[in-house]
Amino acid sequence: MHPRGAASLHSFIDAARVTAAVILIASLSLGVLSARAAQSAERTSEAQVAQALTCQCGCGLTVANCNMPTCGFSVPLRIQIEGMIGKGMSRAQIVAFFRHQYGEKILSAPTTEGFNLLAWAMPFIALLLGGGLIAIAAKRWHHAPLVEAASDDREPPREPAFDPELRRKLAAELKES
Amino acid sequence: MPALGQLALALALLLAAYSIFANVYGARRNAPDFVVSARHALWAMTAMVAIAMAVLWAGLLQSDFSLEYVAAYSSTTLPTIYKITALWGGQQGSLLFWTFLLSIFTSVVAFQNRRRNPDTAPYALAVMAGVAIFFLLMLNFVTRPFQLLAVVPVEGSDLNPLLQNYWMSIHPPSLYTGYVSATVPFAFGAAALITGKLDDGWIRSTRRWAIFSWFFLTLGNMFGARWAYEVLGWGGYWAWDPVENAAFMPWLVMTAYLHSVMIQERKDMLKVWNLALVGLAFSLTLFGTFITRSGVISSVHSFTQSGLGPYFLTFLIIVVVSYSSLLAYRSRALRSRAEFESYLSREAAFLFNNLILVGIAFAVFWGTIFPVLSEAVRGVKITVGPPFFNSVNAPLALALVFLMGVGPLIAWRRTTADKLARIFAAPAILGVCTGVIAFVVAGIHAWYVLTALSLAAFVLGTIITEFRRGTRARQHLVGEPRARALVNLVAKNNRRYGGYIIHVGVILAFVGIVGSSFFKTDVKKTVREGDSFAVGPYTLRFAGVSAEDNAHVATVTARVVVMRDGRAITIMQPAKLFFKKPQQPATHVAIRSTPLYDLYIVLAGIDDEGRLVTFEVFLTPLVFWLWAGGLVMVLGTVVVMWPNVRERVAIAAALRPAATPGEIEAESAPGGD
Repeated sequence: MHPRGAASLHSFIDAARVTAAVILIASLSLGVLSARAAQSAERTSEAQVAQALTCQCGCGLTVANCNMPTCGFSVPLRIQIEGMIGKGMSRAQIVAFFRHQYGEKILSAPTTEGFNLLAWAMPFIALLLGGGLIAIAAKRWHHAPLVEAASDDREPPREPAFDPELRRKLAAELKES
Repeated sequence: MPALGQLALALALLLAAYSIFANVYGARRNAPDFVVSARHALWAMTAMVAIAMAVLWAGLLQSDFSLEYVAAYSSTTLPTIYKITALWGGQQGSLLFWTFLLSIFTSVVAFQNRRRNPDTAPYALAVMAGVAIFFLLMLNFVTRPFQLLAVVPVEGSDLNPLLQNYWMSIHPPSLYTGYVSATVPFAFGAAALITGKLDDGWIRSTRRWAIFSWFFLTLGNMFGARWAYEVLGWGGYWAWDPVENAAFMPWLVMTAYLHSVMIQERKDMLKVWNLALVGLAFSLTLFGTFITRSGVISSVHSFTQSGLGPYFLTFLIIVVVSYSSLLAYRSRALRSRAEFESYLSREAAFLFNNLILVGIAFAVFWGTIFPVLSEAVRGVKITVGPPFFNSVNAPLALALVFLMGVGPLIAWRRTTADKLARIFAAPAILGVCTGVIAFVVAGIHAWYVLTALSLAAFVLGTIITEFRRGTRARQHLVGEPRARALVNLVAKNNRRYGGYIIHVGVILAFVGIVGSSFFKTDVKKTVREGDSFAVGPYTLRFAGVSAEDNAHVATVTARVVVMRDGRAITIMQPAKLFFKKPQQPATHVAIRSTPLYDLYIVLAGIDDEGRLVTFEVFLTPLVFWLWAGGLVMVLGTVVVMWPNVRERVAIAAALRPAATPGEIEAESAPGGD
């Protein structure tokens, strides 16, 4: 076989070996996730409702998560939620009930209406603005020689086999030793 | 003794003030004697703060309740280790500890720069001393750690039970170290702006400090998450609490800086941006302190409403306004001959990486302050909790992970589509295969999880490719055997490959976060002694309780036999603690951790005779990899920071052939990289 062909084959085998090992590890992990995924599908919606409400004991956690031994809020509320689910109330109805009772502060996330919409939109607006600034800066930084390079229809120079920077460092290292 | 502590703090304040005058006067009038004198003053300041801290520690260890602080945060029965950690358990002690760390770092910087950076170091030290003055003013006049009580109580109020945990002995010191060391890059950035020495000298002088700060912020966040995992008893580790957010934001900004600084080093671009980032990182550390101590935003971590808020806010505004003004003043001089050839380039990937990191930091900041805004604008108190932060940050995290895979492999300046395809083919195939296996074999249908796992595999693939490419290059060009080539590759290019190791750690942590967030299950059971119940693949048998009582705490411990396939594999012992001084219960969870999942048992309730007990059991997949990822990040940072003098000299010589040997020598000195 041609030396270049042999090198490519070895390279391919190496890559295949690494890929196979990582796929094996990923599969094992995913197997576990699969079992958990099945179980999580059986979660009661009590947890989902409790996740939408903030505990008022001062812990800052959601009602679903607060397990503070000193908390007198989350446990009774979870029991109340279970009762409401038992009566056939939907998630939205239960959340609305508690919002009416305790005010907006009991919701664990801002609503998507009025002023609160700003909470959700602002991070993405900021990102868009940032992206826009990058685009403007990139346009300004765009260098004239690049136009030549872009219009150059000759075949690009062959990529060196190894990173030129690495080659330079290695050469310096060898020279030094 | 308390008088000695107070006197030491007063002297430290005077010494800090003198050092500013002597440093600035010495630098402006070219009077080296003054600069030397300022350096000695800073060392003396550090000694004074150390004395003050030793006095407070002595008070805690001797249970000297004449000190208000000791009476508030300790007791005679508090175990010795927590008497020591009580130093940062309260407002005044933690501020004193912060000041001590700042003094130490200022002294180290003064020592490192005694023969280097003669133009900028005096100003940088003056800025650091200025920050120290603020803290010393607080300690001397606003929140005094040596305040005496008129009536000395016979017993102290004791430390908050939640803080009586071994993670509290290392979490706050790590986080404070990360916070405070962010002052060094900020101070040198400010000095560069003041003096107009705007080349990348300030970056070279503080590169290790920036990595040091990032390292300790990483540790601090990880230790804090672990503390929450073990102490709060809800099976999670991150609740997007304002104080957690305050620790996370500087980490994000410092991460952005560590990436963007590479563009300045390589392409002489982003000078303003890098200076802005160090200013932002430092400001966010002050913002975090403001949040913790102002009572403006309620948090489980807060030091109650201390009245320090207005002072911190004023200082924060002064810092932001003066630094921004300096930046604006020098903006013309900071313009560089920037080149940007293509969006398919490493600099573009780093720019977008910065956009996402700072975008996440902004989203966290916005969510943290939004309740205050809402109350101010609408007069309505609202909560911004985990659902908001998870929803907003989840897509950004995916983008960041994607860029983590792309950035290191793509070439500087520009890359052709052909080369891109060649480099990314194997990692992309790996990513797609992982997604397909997740969908078909594992039956995972949540799009986020599928994408996250595919991207994680893709990034790991790119890192493996990069290591393989470097190793093969050494094998071919130097003729080393593979293992030696790999070791030398990392040893001789430790910054680059240490960075890749850190990326591996981040990916492991990411997988841990995804697995534990999406697939956690919990079971709540009330049982009698001898009863069994199933949780996932395990069967748990309640084998009884035992009680222990001492002057400090009463403990009730349940024994749970864990069985798998009918065979007992371990006994777990969750407990409930009843502290006596602040009469308060606490939870001691039992955790069995494996790479596949954590079994996490909380003793949720117990009747008076111990016959009926309630357990809450969480089965959390892959959370092990979050902590393992943290360890890998630590390992990677150690590799990055490992001294590599020969390499640095060689690179400096290659990059700056005009530099004199003396300059190269100075650059390779410890702390200079």
